[in-house]
Amino acid sequence: MQTGTIFNIQPFSVYDGPGIRTTVFLKGCNLRCLWCHNPESWQIAPQLQFQEEKCVGCGNCFKVCPKGAHQISERGHIIDRTLCVGCGICAQNCYAGALVLTGKRVTTEEVMARLLEDAPYFKNSGGGVTFSGGEAMMQLEFLKELLIRCKEAGIHTAVDTAGHFPFEQYQKILPYTDLFLYDIKAYDPETHRRLTGVDNHHILENLPLLLQNGAEVIVRVPCIPDGNWQDMEQIACYLEPLPVKQVELLAYHRLGEGKRKSLGMEMETFPAPSVKEMEGLLETFTKKGIPAVYNR
Amino acid sequence: MKNIDARTPVSQFYLDKIKSMHDEKVKLNKEKLAAFGGSYDTDDHGFIYFKDFTFKPDYLPGKDRLEGAKNIGENLRRFWNEIPVYIYKDSALAGAWAGKFQDFVEVGMKRETDTPPELQKIHKKYHMWANGLGGMNHMGPDMNIGLREGLPGILNKVRYYRDFNHPSDTDFYDGEEAVVLGMMEYTKRHADYARQLAAEAEDEKTAQHYSLIAQTCENILAGPPATFREACQLIAVFQSADRTYFLGGALGQLDELLRPYYEKDTRAGILTDEEAIWILASLFYNDTHYSQVGGQTPDGSRDLTSRVSFLILEAAHLLHIPYNLAVRVYEGMDEKLMRRALEYILEDGSGVSFSCATGIEEGYTRQGHPRELARMRAKVGCNWVALPGIEYPLQDVTRVNMAWAFEVAMEELKKDPEPTLEKLWDLFVHHLEIMVDCIKDGYDVHYEKVSKIAPEVVLNLFSHGPIERGLNAAAGGVDIINLNMDGIGLATVADSFAAIEQRVVKEKRLTWEELYTALEHDYKGYENIQLMLKNIPRFGSPESLARDWAKKISLLYTDLVNCAPTPKHHLRVVPGLFSHGDIYKHGEELPATPNGRNAGDPISHSAEPDPGFAAGLTSFSPTLKANAVAMVQPGYGNSAPLHLDIDADMLKNHGGIDTLAALIKTHNEMGGTLINLNCITKDQIRRAHADPDSEPDLVVRVTGYSAFFASLSKEYRQQVVDRYLSE
Ligand code: SF4
Ligand code: SF4
Repeated sequence: MQTGTIFNIQPFSVYDGPGIRTTVFLKGCNLRCLWCHNPESWQIAPQLQFQEEKCVGCGNCFKVCPKGAHQISERGHIIDRTLCVGCGICAQNCYAGALVLTGKRVTTEEVMARLLEDAPYFKNSGGGVTFSGGEAMMQLEFLKELLIRCKEAGIHTAVDTAGHFPFEQYQKILPYTDLFLYDIKAYDPETHRRLTGVDNHHILENLPLLLQNGAEVIVRVPCIPDGNWQDMEQIACYLEPLPVKQVELLAYHRLGEGKRKSLGMEMETFPAPSVKEMEGLLETFTKKGIPAVYNR
Repeated sequence: MKNIDARTPVSQFYLDKIKSMHDEKVKLNKEKLAAFGGSYDTDDHGFIYFKDFTFKPDYLPGKDRLEGAKNIGENLRRFWNEIPVYIYKDSALAGAWAGKFQDFVEVGMKRETDTPPELQKIHKKYHMWANGLGGMNHMGPDMNIGLREGLPGILNKVRYYRDFNHPSDTDFYDGEEAVVLGMMEYTKRHADYARQLAAEAEDEKTAQHYSLIAQTCENILAGPPATFREACQLIAVFQSADRTYFLGGALGQLDELLRPYYEKDTRAGILTDEEAIWILASLFYNDTHYSQVGGQTPDGSRDLTSRVSFLILEAAHLLHIPYNLAVRVYEGMDEKLMRRALEYILEDGSGVSFSCATGIEEGYTRQGHPRELARMRAKVGCNWVALPGIEYPLQDVTRVNMAWAFEVAMEELKKDPEPTLEKLWDLFVHHLEIMVDCIKDGYDVHYEKVSKIAPEVVLNLFSHGPIERGLNAAAGGVDIINLNMDGIGLATVADSFAAIEQRVVKEKRLTWEELYTALEHDYKGYENIQLMLKNIPRFGSPESLARDWAKKISLLYTDLVNCAPTPKHHLRVVPGLFSHGDIYKHGEELPATPNGRNAGDPISHSAEPDPGFAAGLTSFSPTLKANAVAMVQPGYGNSAPLHLDIDADMLKNHGGIDTLAALIKTHNEMGGTLINLNCITKDQIRRAHADPDSEPDLVVRVTGYSAFFASLSKEYRQQVVDRYLSE
């Protein structure tokens, strides 16, 4: 049986595919998107999150940390990330819930037990399970076993991926994946590298290959003014001939900012697009006959 | 034939009438609030407050309360002859009730004198003020008896069986006869009043309107109702009488009751759909009696949904005041009715509740009843279900606050030099057993006394057996007596056990002594410990200790209730888990508990996790909550409801009606019993809480019942707000 590291199992998740779904968030990502909403997912190893606003100043964490990572600086209570080894002892002793260790090693058996509890909702809503991340493909063998077990249980499966892997890896899960949620973040390789840290040749190649192999795909495009906005026309041209099920245009928002801060990370911020701008963008896509949607 | 679910194009004429009833209701509600100290926390009943009306009861010599059927019946009869008549100009129906009889007379069992002292002692120790003794009405009538026989037929029936049974003491029949006569005289007074209004009317149309009301009343005095309107008028008379006497509020399978009249009248061309909607709205204006639509025939061969089911929903939606309708949900049902009900809930913020067949019916078969009977069990109370006219289930009148059993157990454990979790559990079991047994003893006393002191003089007339046998429903009048017992405080206790297990036993972060000290100080100066105890995976979280405790406690409670009938009269007792809205009152005197709850704070709700249980797990957790409630159902056909307070804004992005329908279907499949749903935006609830007058129309489902938000007390409003804002 495979084990893997996940950072959340989110019930009643309805943004990640059809119907009522449960989303399993796998830890680890091979991209570093500047706007990432789940920065706690980047490393496969567990990471410590600190939500300062919940801290009641009890001092427990200072006492119990074996590495002396909790410190007082002129900015107040800080965690020296170079010292922290992610042992989680401070989080266990933080009763205010300000410190949380993100990431847990689990077996596929344990994950399935949770998923099966929600199976009746899937059946009644046309929903299922979505594997997301991070990047779900980072823990391929773990993912594959979960997909197989879901299919055995008659559960609809979706995999949320950014596409940055050799196609052979996708072939391993293709037979057990009912739906791919596939991100296109930029068209120009340089832009892509600037925004995500990697170039996009795998990504642009894999999508048509997945479709040729009969996969059902919903493409998701984050729309970021001053980020990838200038690439939108080209993304639309790229998608135009492809038989994707849907293209979801996602307006950039700043939800990830708080999380970054709680992980002690800096981040670049972008302006959020207006509804009008998004609607204009939608037209760019629909005009080409692309089945694009934008949900406010 | 048109689709049964087509929305009716209602003309302005009827829309105006319905709107006028709505506005009048809001206005009356304001007046009532002013008269009753600014708030009331029960059903928003439809009574009309007649400020100057007084009533002088005739007590029997040497008595300080009304007692027995005859004495009560005769006083009720006079009461209905003395209350002011009432016809609202835009309503199709005549009559209103003038507040509960008990506010004008002394009647019913009394805590001080009718409860044996040994039980009073236990009630006091465990704070069991809702103990079932003297519980009234909580059963369901079969309105078909009224509709088939009509008032004169019922009168004849009473007289026939008095002769036939020839009892040595005719008190019972004399009382029942007085009640029917009272209802008839009340109807006659309204017929006369309507005639008078017709005579005084300034235009022909108004005169016709009142003449028709008069004629309708006169017709139901002459025989059984023959038309849809007459049937509704008879039900309105019943509602007014039933509410008057101990706030009876059960009606039954309303769509089926009215379907034959609707079909006959529409075939004859004397009733249009919009007129039917207006008449139904008038019925809801008259009172908030509980009824059900949808479901199945006893043999399961036909779905009960008809055109009338949809008209009932339309009427309630258009009137938009508190009303208490339930849609029966069962596996394999045609979903149109449920979906329409959901559409209205999304438009109005609240609406029907959903009665789940799996829990209600399958559970009932577990009591040893055939499935065919189980299908007839209609939802006729805020949480309760009953076989119309053949069951005396007395649901919703007892509360076994399990948190008190826990509190007493903790106090005893303190004396133990070597406390353990196992010892705490054993003590809890011991004290819970005392509470449960005390209710059973009380039910024996209830059975012995209530029929002599305060028989169900109104509901007996609409039940199968009481008149035929000359017996009160509570004492052999109806075939089935199965007395419900509601446990409450489940999550409070489960979370407390889990917190101790995790922090004291497993992690050893806290000693028993430290725990006791913190509790004794109500956590003042021990806020760290409070946080530590609060911050555990609570009931509702998957794979939590608290979940295991909740299951174990629910099972224990169910076993304690089920294991034996009442000791003396061997009456069946059935477990339920329902707190009504009284979680504040039940928490008021309860000291601090190990789940981090402060002394005096409310206890948990029914079988539900505490609000905010999923903080840190997920931001929107209806499935977790629904799973948790399904998991702890007692499973014998009585309900442990699920409340879902869903942010309407959020829902828009979450699949809307499809999502709600899937949630409801799944909860039913998982064995749920009842779902209460509110769907308003967080902003609206915040606004209404800050300034209730800004939302005078806002109707919410508090627990099983619905009410104007603005009429609730601050605590009750807070309850709804907490449920919302914690999601
Ligand atoms: S996770 Fe471990 S090493 Fe890191 S700050 Fe907490 S206690 Fe110290
Ligand atoms: S243990 Fe938690 S609450 Fe206490 S000082 Fe550390 S972060 Fe703050």
